[in-house]
Amino acid sequence: MRYIHLILRSLFRSRRRTILTVLFLAVSVFLVATLQSILLTLDAFANNPNSSNRIAVRHKVSLTNLLPLRYADWIRQQPEVEEVMALQWFGGIYQDPRNFFPNFAAEPEPIVRIFKEEIVEYSETQWRDFLRDRNGCIVGEALAKKYGWKVGDVIPMQGTIFPINPRLNLRLIYRSRRLTDEQAMYFHFKLVEEGVPFMQGRVGNLWVRAKHPDEVPRLIERIDRHFADAVEPTLSETENAFQLEFLKMMGNLATIIHAITGAVLVAILIVTANTMAMAIRERTTEVAVFRAMGFTGSRMLGILMAEGILLAIMGGMAGLGLAWLAAGGIRAALGSVIPWLTDFTIPVDTLLFCLHASMGLGILSTFIPAYRVVRRPIVEGLRAL
Amino acid sequence: MALDFIIRCEAVAKSYWRGTLEIPVLQGLDLEIPRGGYYALMGPSGSGKTTLLNLIAGIDRPTGGSIEVCGYDLNDLDDDQLAGWRSQHVGFIFQNYNLVPVLNAFENVELPLLLTRLSRRERREKVLEALALVNLTDRLENYPRQLSGGQEQRVAIARAIVTEPDILVADEPTGALDAKNAEEVMALLERLNSEVGKTILLVTHDPKAAHHARIQIHLEKGVLDRTVEVNR
Repeated sequence: MRYIHLILRSLFRSRRRTILTVLFLAVSVFLVATLQSILLTLDAFANNPNSSNRIAVRHKVSLTNLLPLRYADWIRQQPEVEEVMALQWFGGIYQDPRNFFPNFAAEPEPIVRIFKEEIVEYSETQWRDFLRDRNGCIVGEALAKKYGWKVGDVIPMQGTIFPINPRLNLRLIYRSRRLTDEQAMYFHFKLVEEGVPFMQGRVGNLWVRAKHPDEVPRLIERIDRHFADAVEPTLSETENAFQLEFLKMMGNLATIIHAITGAVLVAILIVTANTMAMAIRERTTEVAVFRAMGFTGSRMLGILMAEGILLAIMGGMAGLGLAWLAAGGIRAALGSVIPWLTDFTIPVDTLLFCLHASMGLGILSTFIPAYRVVRRPIVEGLRAL
Repeated sequence: MALDFIIRCEAVAKSYWRGTLEIPVLQGLDLEIPRGGYYALMGPSGSGKTTLLNLIAGIDRPTGGSIEVCGYDLNDLDDDQLAGWRSQHVGFIFQNYNLVPVLNAFENVELPLLLTRLSRRERREKVLEALALVNLTDRLENYPRQLSGGQEQRVAIARAIVTEPDILVADEPTGALDAKNAEEVMALLERLNSEVGKTILLVTHDPKAAHHARIQIHLEKGVLDRTVEVNR
């Protein structure tokens, strides 16, 4: 601690160079932290622990092919099954295409049993109102707040996939544990089935809840085997795997983000190493004077390393600060458009990764120039210009 | 009465290598300097005076012979022990002062004390004492760029004496100063020798500076040429 004053003064010896290096580090760490957080957010979305015993059953050919509704009857009879529900992505627009939120037509009764981890808190009276009203719908509280909806409001939806424009009565507003889970709307599947001729007796997905997560693989295998020879064969997968299918549509995002992160880290290393090499080389004589006064080589190495690490940590902290501020902006600006980003934040894991990476870069970039200057004979150092 | 020799050099040799070519700088030099002595090492360029000073100060190692300073055979000390020894026994004064530009006068003088176990208050007392000795107590907060060359060298002298070393080694301490400042610095060194009893070993080309020493040692091609007692 008695050298901290010396370390800080030395660090700001060339104020402009230090500030520019810290800014460069900050921008780089900001980029890494934000990209990694987006990746973790998407990963968490596709690895929802709540969905461990939910299975999505769809047509084997593609997501857009439909399954016969009667498949639900056979699935429901399987001993491992707790609940089955027809679920159809409606993809409707509310007022403006920019007002994106997930909206589904679903068999009403099973909704709260299938999604019991998400639909946590609601009024039983409102629930019964919803079941009675064929034009009724339920929405999450965050979504209702966003558009200022309250129970009793009429929400006009415009179909984009299906040629119907249902006017839905808001009957229930539910609460979840996470804001992300309060972004969806569900309404009666009958509206789609009866309003769209090609949907009669057919649905996009069957959502199955197994009694126990351990039974999921066996159930998936049995469902797909049973319908393998049918005209409409099924492809069953865990809900997480199903969500991943959507993410895969965005390309191999993880690879791209990891590649960018790697490139940024290498760039930081090169720039910081260059800065530290210049800063240390300029002080060759000074280091020799310190050693002549009695500072040992290892003590000088420690002081120089501390400078490099401190510089890198300052950049890292500034970058994380920027990322934290940006996370709020991303939530506000994109959370409404991309529901996965409603809860967007910089996770602790990412914070720690960035701090450790900054520290590691500080060590890597400083060690070689510091070691070289400390190993140099004192008399040579005193003669250096 | 037997003299108390603080520095003893026996058959000291030092060679540098340029590739496979050996360049001998000191060749079997013997020298004894008593405690409290004020010696000036003189000689033409390449005579080995700075090399000898560096060897005695423990910042370089001989290729032959032995050097005993303050009761320690420097050949017996490893690099870290030698660093610890320097911090206790030797004060350095350089031609270009070599102050740390980002530290003020007080902080520069305090630097060697950071290696001791002294408390902050004790360090402060010692620094003020050293700066008072070089008559710079009014420049504590000044950075090197705010000081004249003579003042910078006085701060460097305060830094050299703050740990109360046995020996002060000075390599061309007036080399970068004008005549007036050079005279002031030499007078200060003379005072440190006569009043505080510091042993001073000085390398200089300047006969006026050398005249302040009590003994002048002339080197020629790496060997002792002659020793001259200065009459004042």
